[in-house]
Amino acid sequence: MTPAASILLLTTATGFGYGLLAWIGLYAALGLLPPARAASLVIAGVALALLLAALGLAASMLHLGRKARAWRAFSQWRSSWLSREGVAAVLTFPVAIALGLAALRDGDGGWTRVAGLAALAASLGTVYCTAMIYGSLKPIRQWHNPHTAPDYLIYAAFSGAILFALLRTVVFGTPGLVAGAAAAGSAALALIAKWLYWRHIDAQTPLATLANAIGLRADGAAKTVVKPLDAPHFTENFVLREMGYVIGRRHAARLRRIALATAFLLPLALTVMATLAVFPLAAIVLALGGAAIGLLIERWLFFAEATHVSALYYGRAI
Amino acid sequence: MTMLPKAAPGARKLGLVIDLDTCVGCHACAVSCKEWNGGGEAGALPDYDKYGTNPDGVWFNRVHSYETESQGCSRTVNLPRSCLHCEDALCVTVCPTGASYKRAEDGIVLIDTDICIGCKLCSWACPYGAREFDEDAGVMRKCTLCVDRIYDQSLPEAEREPACVASCPARARHFGDLADPQSGVSRLVAERGGTDLLADFGYRPTNKYLPPRRASIPVPPAPTPEPRGGGIGSALLNLLDKALSR
Repeated sequence: MTPAASILLLTTATGFGYGLLAWIGLYAALGLLPPARAASLVIAGVALALLLAALGLAASMLHLGRKARAWRAFSQWRSSWLSREGVAAVLTFPVAIALGLAALRDGDGGWTRVAGLAALAASLGTVYCTAMIYGSLKPIRQWHNPHTAPDYLIYAAFSGAILFALLRTVVFGTPGLVAGAAAAGSAALALIAKWLYWRHIDAQTPLATLANAIGLRADGAAKTVVKPLDAPHFTENFVLREMGYVIGRRHAARLRRIALATAFLLPLALTVMATLAVFPLAAIVLALGGAAIGLLIERWLFFAEATHVSALYYGRAI
Repeated sequence: MTMLPKAAPGARKLGLVIDLDTCVGCHACAVSCKEWNGGGEAGALPDYDKYGTNPDGVWFNRVHSYETESQGCSRTVNLPRSCLHCEDALCVTVCPTGASYKRAEDGIVLIDTDICIGCKLCSWACPYGAREFDEDAGVMRKCTLCVDRIYDQSLPEAEREPACVASCPARARHFGDLADPQSGVSRLVAERGGTDLLADFGYRPTNKYLPPRRASIPVPPAPTPEPRGGGIGSALLNLLDKALSR
């Protein structure tokens, strides 16, 4: 699948935004926010989360052929994960604002806890819908598997945890043990999840053979060798441009190592450093930079390494 | 409305049956499809870089050619590939706007281009690569089964069939109601063992493909040459024999 900049930005930015909101919601629900600065932490966090979510949603608009009709995408939530994502993404905004208002009026009281729980559910729900857009596509084996949905939730939790650690460091000078451990722990979890995902897709077999694709199964597909002879046209077309992306194996392997190092390993080391109060602010800012760049590379690979069954008709490996 | 419709009892299932045994790969179906849908109710089908070095455009139907080898016998199989109007059409259910829909009355899968936002997700959901993006209009396009032809009362009844079927010089394309077991297309599928493309994916395509017949042409053993006598005399006689029997 050809990586589109708008979608890479969408999924990465909303991962940071809704991930941050999920952590703020969780801490608020559990009453773990430092009472003295609860309101300012929540309000700053909600504002940053919504800004990033809005940025991601704006980027997604760039992907559309007809941007002015985007509002129509809220209508088919009964069948479409893309529609559900849109509805959930927008519904999360008032929930997040309610959390900010509750923290402002109520500190870490009962209303804040309830609103925090709602914000946690709404933001995780949005990320889950995003993941299921990819997870539900049967022609793409690298997406239609049990890794996609939990992985997206883990990456969102990781990126949100880094942002929350940054907020706490700005306010208190260090991320504190809980937020620091959450950031480092989710970085480790994300590292393992990505490694398991790559191991999974590397072990997969193609979803179909060319003989299946042209309906020769009745003829004994196992014994029928099919080779492409002539493509319909001499030049590339939409199907190949959109779904026939081919990435070199060595190129992919190098990018995987870079993604693992910048997205997860570097932030893991830096957040541990910050938690131990060694140059905490610089460490967290660097961790955030690594996570942002690394996750963009990881997301690029998520698309570039995904193969679509329709490319089989053109004789491409799937 | 992107929920798949519940097929009403007695509803038709219009579709194509394509004979891979007789398709000669001439691309007439693809060209006539482009011609009809470029000018009909569907409006223009875009072409980019028409006279340049890298021409491209939207086609509803594309013809591939493959070389198959089975049991020591190789042959060319031409595969016209277009929308199969699946019963479990994922391209319909993933649509966020309701632009992509399947008709309850005849099962045709269509796009309402007045609603489509051009997110391209339907093209990702289709394993057959049947949907193409119209860069000019910013919307998705696909085979309509010539819905503006097959129901056109102003056309003579014999012409109310998709353009690709009407133009096929090898009569490899057949159009009809696949829900009716007595229809011509259903009988063809039953007799010839019509198959689904990528059956394992479970999209339950309406269009069927008739597999190539087993090509086994018996080759007679080469005749052994008659023994001829040697010498200049018999060579002259042979020459004479050839000249006389001409």
